[in-house]
Amino acid sequence: MTDVQDKPAVAATPVEKAFGGGVVATLFRFQSVFGLLAVFVAAIIFSPRRNGEILFLSADNLANVVRAVSEIGIIAVGMTFVILIGGIDLSVGAVLGLAAVGSAVLMVESDWGFVPSVLLVLAIGLVFGALQGMATAMIGIQSFIVTLAGLQIARGLARIWSDGQGVAIAYGDGPNEAPSSFALLGERTFGGLVPIPVLIFAVVAIAAVVFLRISAFSRHLYAVGGNEKAARLSGVPVVRVKIAVFAICGLLAALAGIVHAVQLNQGSPNDGIGYELDAIAAVVIGGTSLAGGRGSVAGTVAGALLLGVLNNILALNNIDSNIQLLIKGLVIVAAAALQRLRPAS
Amino acid sequence: MNKHTMSLAATAVAALVLAGCGTTSERTSDEPQAQNSKQCKGADGKYVIGMSQANVAEPYRQRMDDDIKAAAAEVPQFEVKFADAAQDNAKQVADVENYITQQIDLLIISPNEAKPLTAVVKKAYDQGIPVLVLDRKVEGDAYTGFIGGDNVQIGTEAGKYVAEKVLPNGGNVVEIKGLAGATPQAERNQGFATGIKANPKVKVVATASGDWLREKGQAQMDALLKANPKIDVVYAHNDPMAEGAYLAAKAVGREKEMKFIGIDALPIPSGGIKAVEQGRLTATFTYPTNGKEAIAAAKKLLVDCGTIEKTQTLPTRLIDKTNAAQIYAQENPTG
Repeated sequence: MTDVQDKPAVAATPVEKAFGGGVVATLFRFQSVFGLLAVFVAAIIFSPRRNGEILFLSADNLANVVRAVSEIGIIAVGMTFVILIGGIDLSVGAVLGLAAVGSAVLMVESDWGFVPSVLLVLAIGLVFGALQGMATAMIGIQSFIVTLAGLQIARGLARIWSDGQGVAIAYGDGPNEAPSSFALLGERTFGGLVPIPVLIFAVVAIAAVVFLRISAFSRHLYAVGGNEKAARLSGVPVVRVKIAVFAICGLLAALAGIVHAVQLNQGSPNDGIGYELDAIAAVVIGGTSLAGGRGSVAGTVAGALLLGVLNNILALNNIDSNIQLLIKGLVIVAAAALQRLRPAS
Repeated sequence: MNKHTMSLAATAVAALVLAGCGTTSERTSDEPQAQNSKQCKGADGKYVIGMSQANVAEPYRQRMDDDIKAAAAEVPQFEVKFADAAQDNAKQVADVENYITQQIDLLIISPNEAKPLTAVVKKAYDQGIPVLVLDRKVEGDAYTGFIGGDNVQIGTEAGKYVAEKVLPNGGNVVEIKGLAGATPQAERNQGFATGIKANPKVKVVATASGDWLREKGQAQMDALLKANPKIDVVYAHNDPMAEGAYLAAKAVGREKEMKFIGIDALPIPSGGIKAVEQGRLTATFTYPTNGKEAIAAAKKLLVDCGTIEKTQTLPTRLIDKTNAAQIYAQENPTG
């Protein structure tokens, strides 16, 4: 959304100001939004119909789509921050698994309450992320390596904490039961239609967009991603920015893990395998450059939704799962190719 | 009121509250079998069956899909769709949700794990979609029928076979287990322990976890061979791990010292029956995919408007050198 690298080079008309550049630039800038619209329209066209009803557009189905997207979406928002500073976080799927296991073990086996469990799990994600940020910012190890190690560590911790077994979650007030307030997190609301995980995703996304708009942190973020050396020389606290970014990413992965556990009534150490790749895909489709310094949270949200709609319409048409992989791969390549064609700012 | 009844009451209240939130017309799960449901239109109907598979990375599961496909081809009224959850519970939930959206006539599911899939299976069942659960269970009883092998029994048979036939004078066994946390792993382990009790001179001297994978079985066996100078039998929880163990022993020239026993006996070229036929494994035990049986049950429910058993357990069978070739030809006539 805030895309400071894209300031028009010449004096801009009000329209151009509003859109951050010419029409072409606008198209490219919001490529994921247009992509999402295109996929959405295609989904309507290709949707199976029953008694004249377009199944894709049924309220139930749309709720399923956004609910299925919400976990990846929450992670992808954090991933956007990391990628904006030119980093990558491969640990998010494993942190999700650790958080899912953590919330299940704390509430079910250790008989903790809802609030302390959730707070501790979020704190674990935050600290885990911050430690990764320190390793990359202070020791100077590439984030790819740091978080690759982090992936293994988080997965190992999750297996140790759960004895390698999925921890089933039952609800109630007794021993070995999670508090019913936790179950509400997975429920539907607003006329029984909008699932709470979707609301959490929406709140996270809006908070991230607003945060990037109003805080000085945003300038620092894009500055570090654009040119780290120049940012350091101009007084940007690069180390602090990096630690904060990885901490946010870890925190959001933990939040997604809590949502994951409540939706599946289980915390398993194998939860979230490969989710980091889905999150990165959402960010890339959203138009954020892996080189850093360019991109937006809004793009990522659109990217995540695009993937969700695509998954849904392919499944509704029972496209072979191997073909589904091919199609998703091609969409990612197409999005990245559009990135390369985007006019330089 | 003691703590237990209180928690029961609380659960009941929670269940009532949750039930109250439901938007669809509910059918209680324990209602006397209305299992042939509104779906049965008899032989003139056309039926769409949705098959939700946990993953197709394991040959066993690919074979299950293939068996379903082949059996359904014999029933002109059936069209079967397949979804692959790729070992992801969340994806499998979404797959079943999609089937519900499509208003399929019957759901066949082989769940990745029980707990996370229970709610969505119940949702399908409560909407009047008959549900056949294959191989791995879900919790509760909100499904029409379960068809699966009995892993405890298979483990017991394997244990007895080792205790009585392979090592009548006793000996050392190493056990290579499946993925920790998977029920078949626990059951194949537990059954085996029971089975070898028949001969107190048979000892399990070491166990290792091979996660169902051939390469892991091989790596674990490398270490077991170093640590154990005398191994008489390798019992692996599936054929690929048994084959991996065989390769490890062969690499150090010790494969003749011991016998290798697996489970699954898939009638495919890379499966356990061929391995027995070709002498790498001494024996394997069939673990039926149930694909054929599932379609037979679906036919009973949808076409014949009949009822089925709530639980159908399929027996296992010992495959050794004496019957391997014949059973392979019978199960896989094309080759």
